[in-house]
Amino acid sequence: MAYRREMAREDADRAALRDVNWRMILRLEASISVGIGLLMLIIWALAGARHFWPAWVWFGLAIPLALQVAIRRGLRAPKGHRLLAAHGAITCVLASILLAIWLLAGARHAFWPVWPILGLGVVLVGHAWVRHALPTAREQALADRVEVLTRTRRGALDVQAAELQRIERDLHDGAQARLVSVAMNLGLAEELLSKDPQSLTELLAEARSSTLTALADLRTVMRGIQPPVLADRGLEGAIRALALDLAVPVTVGGEIPGRVPVPVESAAYFTVCECLANVVKHSGALQARVDVGYRGGVLSVAVRDDGVGGASLAAGSGLRGVARRLEVFDGTMTLTSPAGGPTVVTMEVPCELSSPRT
Amino acid sequence: MRAVIAEDLALLRDGLARILRAHDIDVAAAVGDPVALAAALEEQQPDIAIVDVRMPPTFTNEGLVAAIEARARRPGMPVLVLSQYVEQLYARELLLSGAEGVGYLLKDRVSEVGMFVDTVRKVAGGGTVLDPDVVTGMLTHHGRNQAMARLTRREREVLGFMAEGRSNAAIAGKMVVTAKAVDKHINSIFMKLDLPLDADDNRRVLAVLRYLQTD
Repeated sequence: MAYRREMAREDADRAALRDVNWRMILRLEASISVGIGLLMLIIWALAGARHFWPAWVWFGLAIPLALQVAIRRGLRAPKGHRLLAAHGAITCVLASILLAIWLLAGARHAFWPVWPILGLGVVLVGHAWVRHALPTAREQALADRVEVLTRTRRGALDVQAAELQRIERDLHDGAQARLVSVAMNLGLAEELLSKDPQSLTELLAEARSSTLTALADLRTVMRGIQPPVLADRGLEGAIRALALDLAVPVTVGGEIPGRVPVPVESAAYFTVCECLANVVKHSGALQARVDVGYRGGVLSVAVRDDGVGGASLAAGSGLRGVARRLEVFDGTMTLTSPAGGPTVVTMEVPCELSSPRT
Repeated sequence: MRAVIAEDLALLRDGLARILRAHDIDVAAAVGDPVALAAALEEQQPDIAIVDVRMPPTFTNEGLVAAIEARARRPGMPVLVLSQYVEQLYARELLLSGAEGVGYLLKDRVSEVGMFVDTVRKVAGGGTVLDPDVVTGMLTHHGRNQAMARLTRREREVLGFMAEGRSNAAIAGKMVVTAKAVDKHINSIFMKLDLPLDADDNRRVLAVLRYLQTD
């Protein structure tokens, strides 16, 4: 950051220096021009002060100066308008030249400069209109970006809403229902404590087993939200842990030299989960491979298997869902899966790493 | 027998201590973070450390790291690691620190109090006990290497029970077969896995676990 600021200052310094140089040159040029002009005036006076020809010399000397000042002015306009401003300035200078010629020639003829000046004006107006009507490349890029952001933001919110809905349903049908049954059993047990102590054992055992199932349900839900091993070990470690749990042998290769930002980590992890789940469920693969890497500010993860292929983003809404999660981070996902295999899913997400947690 | 407990949630720490004390296991110290654990182990030299995986300061897996470090300082130091979730990856790392006197269980299992206390004693005595969830996970890899693929379904089942730290008699009971049949399965497993026969029940489990580690 400090480095960048340093650079900016150097740039500004250089620009200021250029400005000073230019002013000096212009001043020198102007002095020389004035000198020559005066000299011509003296020569004219000595030669008898007849037809006032030095006006033409002055005119010739003024043209380069005027052009320089005009271009300089034009280029000082705000970025994006410079070309038009310079065009305008040059047009003014040319119009002035034409006017001057007409005047110097004695203004005796019809006012012919009107035609070229009109032409110059039309060209300038045309230029201005084109500038105004057509967005620049930069504006176009911004418009495209806004479109992408709008789409991905909507996608992210949809994904998030669906996730919350799923979590709510899982908790409601799972852990919550089990705890209700535990509470009911315990209530019953309380009543039976005095009346029928014999049947207590069974009720308590049932309450305990319901509690255990509720715990298992909660674990499943938590894994779906944020698997603890991801926080413990980061993306690479979590993928290794995941690979160990699968029925298809999965090799994990590569290394990430630091910690991926948590939201990216989570999105990338669930993408890998989805890919590997597809490998196990649909591909018929004998083995799979996950490669992780980080180069040039981009996290890359590739999942490949030796299965039957023929996978597509349209067929499985699961992969589409995770692709949308990646898009939020300007990540991309590509799938190649020719019939007969192999299937390769590659994802790339630009992100910055933090130093590894110790 | 003397135990040190490391668990940051007071509710669970007290519960564990209560269960152990009720079964005549002396709780020499009950601490809430890895630093205090290291100090308590140094000071008390207990027969077993019961350690929660998630503890301060980062609340990730410092309990696991502390357990492995404790075993590096005192090789063979019995450690029972408890967690609200189990990972095969962690089981492997734990077993790499030596497979004797190691336990790795879901906290849920503590509710089967009798079995939990048995486990504590078994690990303190140098045994190895892995959570059934971990064992099931490990056994899903049977297709991964050829030696394991040679085992029959029945033999894999026996192997699973062995990894959970069960005795032959218990396995026989679980599978509703005679102890002799279990013996036969176990011998057959060793034959197929090229493991030397050994009279000691515990060593056999360790041998199998070592094998599972190196897949």
